[in-house]
Amino acid sequence: MRPPVATRVGAAALPAAVAVALREHDPLAAYATATDVHYLFAGADGLLDIGAARDDVIPALAGTHPAFAWDEREMRDAHGVRFANAPDDRPLFIGAAGEPPALTAEGEGVTVVVVGPVHAGIIEPGRFTISTGGETVIHLDAQLSYSRRGVEAFLAGRNAVAAAPRVARICAACSVARSWSYARALESLAGVACDGASEYGRIVAAELERIYNHLFDLAQAAAGAGYGYGQTHGLGLKERAHALCAAAFGHRLLFDAIVPGGVAVGALRDARATREGTARLRADAAAYAATLLGNISVQRRFEGAGVLLAETARAFGVVGPGRRASGGTFDVRAALPYGAYAELVPAVTSESAGDVAARVRVKAAELEAAFDLVDRALAALDAAAPPPPQRVEPAAGAAVRVTEGPRGAETLALGVDATGALERITVRSASFRNWPAVVRSMEGNIVPDFPLVNKSFNLCYACADG
Amino acid sequence: MNALAGPDYDTTNAGFSIVASPRHADVITVTGPMTLAMRGAAAATIAAAARPCVVVAVGDCATGEGPWSGAPLAGSGAGVELAAAVTVRGCPPTPAAIAAGLAEAARRLGESA
Repeated sequence: MRPPVATRVGAAALPAAVAVALREHDPLAAYATATDVHYLFAGADGLLDIGAARDDVIPALAGTHPAFAWDEREMRDAHGVRFANAPDDRPLFIGAAGEPPALTAEGEGVTVVVVGPVHAGIIEPGRFTISTGGETVIHLDAQLSYSRRGVEAFLAGRNAVAAAPRVARICAACSVARSWSYARALESLAGVACDGASEYGRIVAAELERIYNHLFDLAQAAAGAGYGYGQTHGLGLKERAHALCAAAFGHRLLFDAIVPGGVAVGALRDARATREGTARLRADAAAYAATLLGNISVQRRFEGAGVLLAETARAFGVVGPGRRASGGTFDVRAALPYGAYAELVPAVTSESAGDVAARVRVKAAELEAAFDLVDRALAALDAAAPPPPQRVEPAAGAAVRVTEGPRGAETLALGVDATGALERITVRSASFRNWPAVVRSMEGNIVPDFPLVNKSFNLCYACADG
Repeated sequence: MNALAGPDYDTTNAGFSIVASPRHADVITVTGPMTLAMRGAAAATIAAAARPCVVVAVGDCATGEGPWSGAPLAGSGAGVELAAAVTVRGCPPTPAAIAAGLAEAARRLGESA
């Protein structure tokens, strides 16, 4: 992956520049630094960064490009960027004044149901305000930020290399992807190239993360459809994946599996056992996915539920399997290869229906592809364990890196000062990107299908909240 | 926590069921730091629970010893602020350690009955 092509424009020219960029690029993130705002895109030719000085009032782009709605609210609330004509004046984050009001439908026969932030299940906190006409959802409002800790401000000023374990713990379910973006950013500033064996090791870690997440997503989709066997069997397979992670990288959830300069000390010491274990899990996961996809009554529940239209997915800048189930093909690993993905090219699956069934099929296919990548990476390693991580001493500068996590593009933008400390870091997770579209995919569905639709995306809260 | 519902740890066999409302709960598990945004809802949840009730802090963040302790919006651990009687360390704790924490909570409930 090459560094972004950077363009600077005046604030007034920003809307036209972004409109041109969106013709051939997908939106990845918009974020603020102390002096600028940046709108970041991905295309076939790499990353594109359109920057403007933030001392002017910035014309809000969210009205025409909803992909930037949350980014601009975040820039306004957390960084004090001033926008003109912002379409949503509500704070994005819960502050001293309490929860912002929900957007609700009004009219005769409309009932408003509020659930959360504490839910009747084991999930992260969020408040969902559902406007209904009868059983049909007219509008769903999601208020997140209940798990907001202020991680970006807490990380700023810390030694960048020493901060890596905290970056790995911003969110558990996409820890490896974020650590990989972080390691690549620091290595680029340090002029360090990761060694070949560790690059293979990084693919093993990242794909194991995808495997346990996708197994969980399939189990959760089964749970949402009331298919108890599918849930229990999927959770059992996920637990086997965690055991493989612990044996291969020393941590069930792969925290610190990827570190600046390489992979965890002692990782993949017994690569043969990891390869045999994943091969056994692969066979059982394939049989499990076939059971799920072959169960007619479960498929009837999946089909037509939570349709995310291709044009909505595009307008909202949806990433990851959620996008690829709605006609998209963008996958950071294939489009902007990093590490050993240039050599071990992943198979990219795309579906067009955009419903729960399509998202489940995409994840089942990606699960199989992830097992294939683990096997190929371990074969390439040929039982040679990766060396200890290299020393990384980042020089002053700025870096942006994007990694394909289980839910899509995990973007980190950061700056390091002359002492090696983080000047700033922006976390733009795939979940942050996708939440506004999940909300739209519920419109016209029945209220009881919310768990099913929500779990077919199975987004995180912690990394979206920050 | 989710792994406890799977076949490996199946805590329903040990007599635990996850209920949909704090009104039905004898044990409440809390994870993470106590964020400013969650403080009100967390206190309301504990207040709504049946009595006696044992609060279990699950994980280093909940016990106030995690990586975000002292972050601008994180406050202390959720278990610290909610006076958890049982703590389970780990980042994250293993499912077996959480199950052991639940068993300890059940023992304390038995003592207070």
